[in-house]
Amino acid sequence: MIEVENLGKTYVAEPVVRDLSFFVPEGQVLGFLGPNGAGKTTVMRMLTAFLPPTTGRVVVAGIDLDQDPVGLRRNVGYLPENVPLYPELRVEEYLRFRADVEGVPRAEVAARVDDVVARCLIADVRRQVVGTLSKGYRQRVGLAGALIHRPKVLILDEPTVGLDPNQIIKVRELITELGREHTVLLSTHILPEVEQVCERVFIIDRGRIVADGAPDALRSRLVGNPSLAVELTGGGEAAAAALAALPGVVGVEAKGEGRFHLEHGAGSDPREAVFRLAVERGWVLLEMSPQRATLEDVFVRLTTREDALAGQEAEVSHA
Amino acid sequence: MRKTWAIIRRELIAYFSSPLAYIVMTAFLLMQGYIFYLIVSFLNNPQTPAMTPLRLFFGGTIFFWLFLLFVVPVITMRLIAEERRSGTIEVLLTSPVTEAQVVVGKFLAAMAFYLALWLPTVFYVVILGRHSKIDLGPVAAGYLGVVLLGFMFLAVGTLASTLSTNQLIAAIIAFAAMVLLFSIGLVEQLMTSSSVLRDAFAHMNLWTQMDDFAKGIVDTRHVVYQLSMGVLFLFLAAKSLEVKKWR
Repeated sequence: MIEVENLGKTYVAEPVVRDLSFFVPEGQVLGFLGPNGAGKTTVMRMLTAFLPPTTGRVVVAGIDLDQDPVGLRRNVGYLPENVPLYPELRVEEYLRFRADVEGVPRAEVAARVDDVVARCLIADVRRQVVGTLSKGYRQRVGLAGALIHRPKVLILDEPTVGLDPNQIIKVRELITELGREHTVLLSTHILPEVEQVCERVFIIDRGRIVADGAPDALRSRLVGNPSLAVELTGGGEAAAAALAALPGVVGVEAKGEGRFHLEHGAGSDPREAVFRLAVERGWVLLEMSPQRATLEDVFVRLTTREDALAGQEAEVSHA
Repeated sequence: MRKTWAIIRRELIAYFSSPLAYIVMTAFLLMQGYIFYLIVSFLNNPQTPAMTPLRLFFGGTIFFWLFLLFVVPVITMRLIAEERRSGTIEVLLTSPVTEAQVVVGKFLAAMAFYLALWLPTVFYVVILGRHSKIDLGPVAAGYLGVVLLGFMFLAVGTLASTLSTNQLIAAIIAFAAMVLLFSIGLVEQLMTSSSVLRDAFAHMNLWTQMDDFAKGIVDTRHVVYQLSMGVLFLFLAAKSLEVKKWR
């Protein structure tokens, strides 16, 4: 659905996006993750035919950006960062304006407006002037506008920024639902959002992809061995050595006060062995929990490692 | 066409949902009315040369030009500058419309507003007609001149509005450009010997062009000059938008 080859953008001699290549199949919900200034917005603006790329090729829904930018736009619904809207229009007027501009067949406009109003839960503000809406409603009106022409691809630039927690949940639910019918590409720097909403994640930094994969796969590939947090009493000094001797355990770190951090091989699960050992030695097991590295870890690791490599023309690690 | 029409409609809603439109319309009518009164009383003086009041009204006084030079930038300053400032241009130009459609739609909305400003002045003609016989030919030509001048100046303003995200700066650029266009023809008066250059300046003299229209002379050279300048500025506006749409 989205094909990008060697995409690059240079603003006044400074490369913002470098040699980006990726492919997004139909129906995927893809998260674009990266620190501020990583080039997320620039990439999105190129995918929506707003900005011309300096180098490379973009094909969306089978249409080449170079050959038919206007045709490409017909297949893309875009919600820019900060949701620009016309404050003087009523919600309904705005949606009708969007429908006209997007080329929705005239006979269908009224039905489409009803449809997006219902889907985006903005029926109660239909007649209200856009300038008087709260941030949460603005966001949903913007989303409704981006959906009005039923685009194959939806591109959302930080769709939950500035919302309160309840609104965030609503917008996320909406995006998850939209993902069933559209190919969705969304950018964010809120990591749990990506884990909840996206099947696949790109982490981009300094205009390059530094990681690409399912959130789970990224975690296990990039954070190394899985680990287990254990807390017990009665073990004393000897406990660390005994735990380290268990099959599958690669390393033990004593954290004091009976707490240990066990690193184990990816295929093994030492929980049973830990339990038996405790029973055998008469220790009381207070806690035992597998530690899942969060995407935060992945993110911090990747984007700071890039910092360390800055200056070197390091090979892009597609991890 | 439908897309352009949607842009025109939205633009007109924007005009009339801000107080600016009403202030401009009121001020324009008050001033035009006052000038019309002055012209009529001036011509009532038996010592003044015989002239029709409408010939003075259409471009025969400096007031006509002052209004035009002030009002046009106010009409056009918002057009594209505001879209770029608020970021709505990003939504507009990621939908299947071209920069040219955006420029033309906005320009036509400005043109509609401009024509609406002039519409009430038709009453002056009606009032004069009730007290004397008037020749409708020159009146029609005068209005044609007003429309053509508006076409050219509004196109300049549209171009200026693509150049800044600040409305005030866009207005000042438009004003300066229009003053330049207006005064370039006046160079004719500074040159004593006749030369090709002088003819060129004379050709661009908006004052004499407008005066011709007011006399009832529809000179195709004037029509072509103003129309082609307008189209040129609109073309430049579309190109400028292509380059400047992102900050």
